[in-house]
Amino acid sequence: MKKVLRTTTALMMTAVLFVSCDNDDDNPDIINPEELITTVELTLTNDNDATDIVVLEAFDEDGEEGPIAPVVRQNGALTANATYSGMVRFLDASDPADVEDITVEVRDEADEHEVFYVTDVAGVAIAKNDVDGGGNPLGLDTTVTTGAAGSGNFTIVLRHEPTKPNDGTLTGAGGESDIEVTFPLTVQ
Amino acid sequence: MFKYLLVVIFMATVAMCTAQDCKNTLKGKITDFHNNKPLELAQVYVEEQERTYTSNSAGEYQVNDLCTGVYHLIITHIDCDKKSIEVIVNQDKILNITLEHHINELDEVQVVADVHDDHATTQNATRIDKELIQKYSGATLGDALETVPGVSSLKTGQGVVKPIVHGLYGSRITIVNNGVRLQDQEWGTEHAPNIDPNTASSIRVIKGSSALRYGGDAVGGTIIIDQARVISKDTLMGNAILTGQSNGRGGAITAGIQRYKKSGWYQQANITFKRLGDFEAPDYILSNTGSQTAATRLAVGYKQFEYGLSAEYNFYDTELGILRASHIGNTADLVRSINSGEPAIINEFTYDIDEPKQEVIHHQVALNAFKRFRNLGKFEFNYQYQLNNRKEFDVRRGALSERAALDIDLKTHNFQGYLHIDASDKWNHELGLDAVLQTNSPDATTGVRRLIPDYNSIKVGGFVGTQYQFTDRLMIEAGARYDHYSIDAKKFYITSRWESLGYDVRFAQFERFRESIQVYTEPELDFDLFAFSSGVQYSFRDHFDITFNVSHSQRAPNPGELFSEGLHHALATIEIGRLELNKEVSNKISASFHANYNNWDVELAPYYNRINDFIQLVPNGVQLTNRGAFAVYEYEQLDAVLAGVDISASYHIKRKETIKRTPYNRTINVTKNWISLGAQFSYVYGEDVKNDKPLIDIPPAQLLTKIEIENVFTEGLQVEIANQQVWKQNRFPDNDYEITYAADNGNAVTETVEISESPDAYNLWNLGLAYSIKSQNNKPNLSFRLQVNNVLSTKYRDYLNRQRFYADEIGRNFIAQILYNF
Repeated sequence: MKKVLRTTTALMMTAVLFVSCDNDDDNPDIINPEELITTVELTLTNDNDATDIVVLEAFDEDGEEGPIAPVVRQNGALTANATYSGMVRFLDASDPADVEDITVEVRDEADEHEVFYVTDVAGVAIAKNDVDGGGNPLGLDTTVTTGAAGSGNFTIVLRHEPTKPNDGTLTGAGGESDIEVTFPLTVQ
Repeated sequence: MFKYLLVVIFMATVAMCTAQDCKNTLKGKITDFHNNKPLELAQVYVEEQERTYTSNSAGEYQVNDLCTGVYHLIITHIDCDKKSIEVIVNQDKILNITLEHHINELDEVQVVADVHDDHATTQNATRIDKELIQKYSGATLGDALETVPGVSSLKTGQGVVKPIVHGLYGSRITIVNNGVRLQDQEWGTEHAPNIDPNTASSIRVIKGSSALRYGGDAVGGTIIIDQARVISKDTLMGNAILTGQSNGRGGAITAGIQRYKKSGWYQQANITFKRLGDFEAPDYILSNTGSQTAATRLAVGYKQFEYGLSAEYNFYDTELGILRASHIGNTADLVRSINSGEPAIINEFTYDIDEPKQEVIHHQVALNAFKRFRNLGKFEFNYQYQLNNRKEFDVRRGALSERAALDIDLKTHNFQGYLHIDASDKWNHELGLDAVLQTNSPDATTGVRRLIPDYNSIKVGGFVGTQYQFTDRLMIEAGARYDHYSIDAKKFYITSRWESLGYDVRFAQFERFRESIQVYTEPELDFDLFAFSSGVQYSFRDHFDITFNVSHSQRAPNPGELFSEGLHHALATIEIGRLELNKEVSNKISASFHANYNNWDVELAPYYNRINDFIQLVPNGVQLTNRGAFAVYEYEQLDAVLAGVDISASYHIKRKETIKRTPYNRTINVTKNWISLGAQFSYVYGEDVKNDKPLIDIPPAQLLTKIEIENVFTEGLQVEIANQQVWKQNRFPDNDYEITYAADNGNAVTETVEISESPDAYNLWNLGLAYSIKSQNNKPNLSFRLQVNNVLSTKYRDYLNRQRFYADEIGRNFIAQILYNF
């Protein structure tokens, strides 16, 4: 019986020790979300006129969890009946001093990604020039052709783990959207 | 004195009503107090007749030819304490007796004059016995609990099953294991209780907050897991169950062994392993819904009548796949998913578990010591340490998927002192003091902001409770509890959120510094919590009893409700906790009317629960981000009414049999159960009375009916046919919202996200076949069970399954079990 008591006392003392060890007063480390994309930027350069550059940019200063809506900007309209080379970039600019280019990651993991472009502006067509390791479209590098003048919406969607190959539509591709931003677009 | 007076009045009345008549029978069932198992070969000695009667294998005894008058019975059984009962006989009478199946627990012997599920409390309660627990050996605790009237489940797929009691779940339900509350991050809707039901010898469900010993905040109810009783004789007992099932193409194996010594030393051990692959709906595979669980329980102790010590270790480890198609990017993905009616991702069957998935490990160390004091009662001291580690893996970019998106360690110390004063026959007092120290530490290297912050919390409380047995028929009880809860958190908010909630002004005192887009805060919150419960239990005549209970309970907001701030991929929602939340206050009235007459057993249990400052997630618009649109939900307080009724009824058709019994080779007539018809109905009405809207996630009305035939073709063969009817929940709040997104042709489409509407009613058939081979004294025994759930492979969706937007429930499932007890 004595032995039992002694064992119990020892166990309870250990328990008390546990308690005292748990309290630490250090501040926890800040976690900067590693998958944050604050900025989506599509640069369209006219193949026949290197000075005709249109940039579509969406900037969400507080990321996807913050209440502030993204600010959508674009500097001008596309020229009618022209061909543009498009390059899309995804950035984490939450720390202006250390802007991270997420596009590199998307390219490295091309098999798991695809960028989709949809627009309701008549005559505007988007062709994807790059492919992933499996020969399926990736969509970072595009050719955008315009037709007659008009205006409407232009949406960029980055899908993670889409069905590959797919029918090229948002519905057919499945997967989940990592990016979905809509810009107003004018062709004149 | 009062009691004797009543007896005299009663007898006088009896004498006037009935002439002296010696044709009365007294019969009933003798069962083990702890597991409700019938006790065979129990001796009922009737002093006045100087005769002994013996119970049959169903625990039933019958005493014939009794005159009107008072009789004294002495009931004995091996391993049980002798019990004396005084009965007044004035007509044929049923007297069911429970014996404490343990010679040491003299004070805990209870004799009850009816077949109520659980007589220990005036609040509606139900006990799940070992046999039923074994039937659910391969399933989850939540599945076993669903058999109780008034209990349903909030599910995420099939693997995450959270019990709902009278319409309430999560932090409003207290789960008690080893006498202390389970601390396993129960605030999450996708967090299932981390307990292996196979370690339980019985489970009690108390539908309300009256179990004050375990806390005063169980607004919904308390679920108490009881472990195997300690026996003081030299014996070795055990059991093994092997379960295999077709849906999920896997199964479970569990084994338990208990060794007891007359000296008082004992050891108990349990081990369970479970493995399932993808479940299958009638038309497709539910990809990534496999799971794997391992659990053990080791206990060692020394127990004498006057004192005892025990130490115990519980381990639970589970890995659960979450339906791949239910992990979505934004509300546009959600709309596409709802419109398609089928999961977006259907792969070949596999046992592999990929992201999204959960990995949870729960360790529990429990130490218990008790000492009995003569003419006072029993003093108990408990200490428990629990470590709960939860990891959640999301579908993330590249190698990040292998890193948990959420990784939280919750450490809890629990100290409890408890005194049970039971020296008086009539009075029964309980008092206790306890302290709970908790530390929550999320891993800082996940690369995802913490959903729940670091915090330390302390809860210190005490309670007193008393029961008074006025007469054999009337019992009253009352209790009160006070707790002080304080929580100190360390949290990084997104600065814009901190400001948009107005916290930079209202809670400026918590703000420490700002870094990048975040602000570091140290919220410190305190809550005073008070609870009471009181009730009465009264038996009118011998076949009818009622209970009535009034309880008041208060619950502090949980860490999820206070601090959560982040994205949920399951429904494309952003959930926001609120620092300004007050405690939730519940007032509940419940009653039960129970009749047991001839072959009928009927119980009606209505309740009314009014909860002020009921904490609930309320939709608050749509938030636009670079990832698309998200629905924002904030925790808000409203006033709620939950009212409902649980009805259960059974009718037994018995048949008479003549059997010969040793030692005297007497022939006795026994009645054996033959056909049982049973029905259970539950309905809950939930209303937000502040906004005149129905409450969300209230279980729809449900009716279970079953027919059970025993000894069908041969002794030991049992057939069960069950039907489950679940109606459509017509009362749900309209939380639909509109979003605009780009269609395939580039057009902007505005569509309503229909997340409110409940699925249609459904009806399922289940079939069971059981066969047991019993040896002479019931041990060892071997039994087999074959169960077919959803026999017709009906396609349906359940309102309380969070994956109902993505996939159907599972189809037909064959479950085969081999059970061995020794």
